[in-house]
Amino acid sequence: MPAIELRDVHKRYGAVEAVRGVSFDVADGEVFCLLGPNGAGKTTVTEIAEGHRLPTSGSVSVLGHDPGRGARELRDRIGVVLQSSGFPEELTVGELLEMHARWYSRSLSPAELIDLVELDAKRDTRAGELSGGQRRRLDLALGLVGDPDLLFLDEPTTGFDPHARRSAWSTIRGLCSRGKTVVLTTHFMDEAQQLADRVAVMVEGRIVACGPPAALGGRDELPTEIRFVLPDALSLASLPPLPGAAVSQERGEVLVTTTSGVAATHALTGWALERGIALRRLSVSQPTLEDVYLALTAGAAS
Amino acid sequence: MTALAHDLRLVGWQVRYQQLSFWRNRRAAFFALVFPALFLVIFGGLNSGTTLDVRGHLAFIDFYTPGIMAYAVLLICFNSTALIFATLRSDGTLKRVRTTPLPWPAYVAGAVGSTAIVLVASIVVLFALGVPVFGAHVPGEKMIGLLATLALGAVAFTTLGIAAARLVKNPAGGAGIISVITLPMVFVSNIWFPMDNSPEWVQDISKALPLRPLADGLQAAFDPRFGGTGIVWGDLLALAIWCIAGAVLMRGQLRSMAKAA
Repeated sequence: MPAIELRDVHKRYGAVEAVRGVSFDVADGEVFCLLGPNGAGKTTVTEIAEGHRLPTSGSVSVLGHDPGRGARELRDRIGVVLQSSGFPEELTVGELLEMHARWYSRSLSPAELIDLVELDAKRDTRAGELSGGQRRRLDLALGLVGDPDLLFLDEPTTGFDPHARRSAWSTIRGLCSRGKTVVLTTHFMDEAQQLADRVAVMVEGRIVACGPPAALGGRDELPTEIRFVLPDALSLASLPPLPGAAVSQERGEVLVTTTSGVAATHALTGWALERGIALRRLSVSQPTLEDVYLALTAGAAS
Repeated sequence: MTALAHDLRLVGWQVRYQQLSFWRNRRAAFFALVFPALFLVIFGGLNSGTTLDVRGHLAFIDFYTPGIMAYAVLLICFNSTALIFATLRSDGTLKRVRTTPLPWPAYVAGAVGSTAIVLVASIVVLFALGVPVFGAHVPGEKMIGLLATLALGAVAFTTLGIAAARLVKNPAGGAGIISVITLPMVFVSNIWFPMDNSPEWVQDISKALPLRPLADGLQAAFDPRFGGTGIVWGDLLALAIWCIAGAVLMRGQLRSMAKAA
């Protein structure tokens, strides 16, 4: 049985339909990422799976439970890190972790968690005195305190500096290696790429593409792009024949787009080596996840 | 350990964390403990030796000590509780608690238990100031009436306080809103001065509100014109009706806080 199963879930607020028929499965131990622009419905879908919101229609199963019923047994096995959530400002980091740990049937030790989220120096600091980034790390620790089988992370690194983000990623990857199922929402491409086994792109309440980051939107089948700068003396006409490739030149840079990337690269570099030509700024690339994402969400942005 | 015993232990821990949180918040601690005591010291001191003719030459301190006790019940059980529950909703604590296995009733019981401890502390301070220091007088057997009235008043105002959390949209300014709601009631409820010579219609309004029977019931324990155990059944009945009304309103509020939308 998959950890999460959503079937044709709709959520309507008055006249606005925030979620318009979303279906997906998340397998045990998988890191599943909902990616999409703000207002696409990612958070609503996550909140339905967490049991915060009831779907207007459709069916939801989380670890075999209907999350809307809020069974204690289910809540004992999930961890939720919300985008913004509060805690009593007067309690210290250590006290908050200890308090939450008591609520679960099994728990991770506060000391271990403080270490994991690198708040060692703040153990005895009141929550109200933490910086924004420290609060987010405390949030993460509180989501993990019950040693959950399934963890929801809603934009876990928003507001983090690059260093803190890297370290949060390594923490999250560490959790995945312990076999936890993770549902992640983010609008950061690199975060999805770094962490997710599968990415679903949401636009205007629907999933428009779903797959591993490397193959999303047919990314692995899209043409390869080869770029380089030709010496001034040469023109496009002097290039070797590149069957099936589209060749163009813009501001001195040549762009070769081809579905036979290996053959074209081989032909070009062989040609250049023979003639002793330096192909400056040579690069061979697939479209990035961001290119695919922007293409998929282009309609929503305008 | 049985499931119930386990949950009761959880409530015990919640009381402890709520207490830690409460006493570290200086503003909350000030309003609960220092503020009513300050009134008693200032006005008890200024009116030392004064008697109230309308109450058969009752010493002012015998009127004022139980009045301020009633005021403390209002501040702690109603004002503080309304703010605690409104903050719970607005700062996201409620949202977090709902996804954890802590049963919502255990959280509520922890908050209410903590309020009860604060109230006991405040009443002990007021009693210690009023009786030994300023010489207010309450015979031992009338402690029964005093405690019964306090208990019913505490239940009534706590349940009403939880229900009133819905009126506080923004807890930062919430203290002001709650005071505005309660201030007119404080003025007509025998807290600051006796209402005995007030117009009939003011009397009718004040008797229909929950603070007046609380103050009257407590004052009976200090007033030699009332004998026996100091129980005034009319006041206890009025408070009991407010307890029922408060429980019904509280139930609606707690349910709406707990359920998914």
